[in-house]
Amino acid sequence: MASSGTRLTLEALSKRYGDGPPAVAAVSLDVAPGEFIGLLGPSGCGKTTTLRMIGGLTPSTSGRVMVGGRDVTTLPPHKRDMGIVFQSYALFPHMDVAANVAFGLEMRGLKRADIAGKVAQALDLVQLGALAHRRPRELSGGQQQRVALARALVIEPAILLLDEPLSNLDAKLREEMRAEIHDIQKRLGITTIFVTHDQAEALAMCDRIAVMEKGRVAQLGTPHDIYEHPASEFVADFVGRSNRIAAEAGADGVIRLGEHRVRSAAPVPAGPVTVMIRPHRVGFDGAEGDGWNICPGVVRRVTYVGDMLACEVEVGGGIVVVERPTQPGTALPAVGDGVRVSWRVSDTLVFPR
Amino acid sequence: MRLSALLLGPVLLVNLLTFLAPVLNLASLSFNEARPGGGIGPGPTLATWADLLADPYYLELVTSSVGVAAMVTVGTLLAGYPLALFIHRASARWRNLLMVACISPLLVSAVVRTYGWMVILGDNGIVAAALRWLGMAKPPRMVFNLTGVAIALVEILMPTMILCLLAGFGRLNVALEEAAASLGAPPWRVLLRVVLPLSMPGVLLGCLLAFVLTVSSFITPKLLGGGRVILLATEIYDQAIVTLNWPVAAALSVLSLAVFGAALLLYGRILRIVEA
Repeated sequence: MASSGTRLTLEALSKRYGDGPPAVAAVSLDVAPGEFIGLLGPSGCGKTTTLRMIGGLTPSTSGRVMVGGRDVTTLPPHKRDMGIVFQSYALFPHMDVAANVAFGLEMRGLKRADIAGKVAQALDLVQLGALAHRRPRELSGGQQQRVALARALVIEPAILLLDEPLSNLDAKLREEMRAEIHDIQKRLGITTIFVTHDQAEALAMCDRIAVMEKGRVAQLGTPHDIYEHPASEFVADFVGRSNRIAAEAGADGVIRLGEHRVRSAAPVPAGPVTVMIRPHRVGFDGAEGDGWNICPGVVRRVTYVGDMLACEVEVGGGIVVVERPTQPGTALPAVGDGVRVSWRVSDTLVFPR
Repeated sequence: MRLSALLLGPVLLVNLLTFLAPVLNLASLSFNEARPGGGIGPGPTLATWADLLADPYYLELVTSSVGVAAMVTVGTLLAGYPLALFIHRASARWRNLLMVACISPLLVSAVVRTYGWMVILGDNGIVAAALRWLGMAKPPRMVFNLTGVAIALVEILMPTMILCLLAGFGRLNVALEEAAASLGAPPWRVLLRVVLPLSMPGVLLGCLLAFVLTVSSFITPKLLGGGRVILLATEIYDQAIVTLNWPVAAALSVLSLAVFGAALLLYGRILRIVEA
C-alpha cells in the first residue's frame, strides 16, 4: 500500500453561510507530497469546515482545491479519491469489519480475490487481522478507530483526511494511537490533513501546523515555530500554556511590568502590551546577566502535582506561574516567601494589547 | 416485576373480554352446522371446514387476497419510501410540518377517500379527461376493477407506511452516507448499500402493516371493486350479511387470522436476519 504522495493546494478557499461572517475566509495552504499538516484551533474556528470542503462533503463558496495539479473543487466526494476518518468513525453497522474495509475496493470494481488480499493487508497494518468478522458494535473505541483508518487507507487515496480521530478515545489510548497514526502515515508517505483542537496532539504528530482563528489561518509553521515564535497572542495562548501579564511598553523598547522593567528579544511596539512567558521557562535560580529578566515577587500559592511544582508568584501586580520539576531534597517555597523570578529575554513574548 | 404485572392487569382484562373472547367465539362458530336461511345448527362438526378446504374457490380467494395485498404493499412502499426519506432529511421545522401534511389524510375516513378516488378515476373523472385531452381515444378503465382498488389502497395506506418508515430510520446517519461517498460510492450505490439496509426495520414494519391492512380492507375493494375484486374481508362480509352463512364467515375469519399469523412470523424471521 505504498503511496508516493500527492500535492494538495488550497487557493483562497472560503465558506460563508447566509449573511454571517465567513466560516472559512480565504484559506490558502500548500501541502507538500507526503506531508502531515494539522489544522488546529478551538471549536468554531472553521477547521472542520475546511476539511469537509477538501473532501467535497461541504461545497465551498469560493476558492479552489487542487490535488496533484488537478482542480477538484466541483467534484462530488465519490470522485475525489480521498480517504476520510470521521470523528464518529462512521463504520457501517450492518457490515462486519472485513466488509467495512472492503467497501471502498468494491466501489472501485476490484475482483473478489484481490479485495480479500488487500483487506487482510490493511487489517494487518492496524493490527486487527483477528477481528475481521466482528461487527463494529462488538469493538472497543480504539479498535473501531483502527477499522476506520484501515478502511480509509485501503483504497490508497491521494489524500488522507482525519477529522478529530482521537477525540473519542481515553487519554492513554489516545497517546498510543497518536504514535501509531504518525508511524503509518510516514510509512505510507500519504499526504495527510489532520483536524484537531488538541494542541499537544498537533505538536506531537504534525510536520506543520496551521493554527486557525475565526475562519483564518493565524499562523502556519512547524511545531517548533508555532510554540517558540507564536505570531499572535491568540496562538501563544492556544498552543502551550502561558503566563499573561498586562504591561506598558515605552518607545525605548523597555517594558514596564508594574514597577519592574523587563526586555524582550524582539522589537516591541510602544503602548499597552501583553507579556507572555511559558511557566516552565521561569525559575527561581536568580540567574544573572544580560540575557535574563529578573523580578522580585511574593509567593501567593504553591501547588504540588507530583512531577511538578506550580508556584503562583505576584510580580508587579500580575501573577506569574512558575513551574519547576520536583527533585528530592529541594526545599519547597512557602506562601508569603519573597522570591526572585527570572526568565530569558528571548523567552519573553510581547504582543500589543 | 409484580407491580408491572399489576399495571398490565386492566388492559389484559379488557383485551380478554373484547378481543380474545369474541375470537374464540368466532372460531367455535366455524365448527357449527350451517342451516339454510341463516340458521345455526348444533356442533361440533367439521362440515364447514371440509367444504372450505375442498372448494378451489376458497383457495383461490386466499391466494388472490395475498397476491393483491403483496402488490399493494410493494406499491405503498415504493410510493412512501422517497417521501419518508425526504421528510427525515428535512430541517426540524419542515419535518414537523411535512409530517402533519402526510398524516392529515388519516383524519378523513376511508369511505370518503374511496369516494374521492371514484370521482378522480371514474370514466368522466379528472384522469380520464386528462388522458383524452392528451389524445388517448379510449382511456383504460380505472374504476370497478383491480387498478382502481390498488391505486386507492396505496394512497390510503401511505400515511401508515410513512410513519413506520420514519420510526425505522433511527439508524440512518449522514456521516455513514458521507463515509460511503468518500470511499467512492456514487449516490445510487449509497442508497442501495447503506441507506436501504439500515432502514430495513422500518421497511419491514411498514410492509407488515400495509399487508395486513390490505387483506382486511373492506370498504375500498367493496366500493371501488364493483364486485369484481373479491378479497378475504369482502367475502366474509358477503357470507355473513348476504348469504347469511355464519359458520363459513367464521371459518374465513379464522383463515385470515392464520394469514396474519404467517405474515407476522415471516416479519419476525426477516427482522432477525436483518438485525443480526
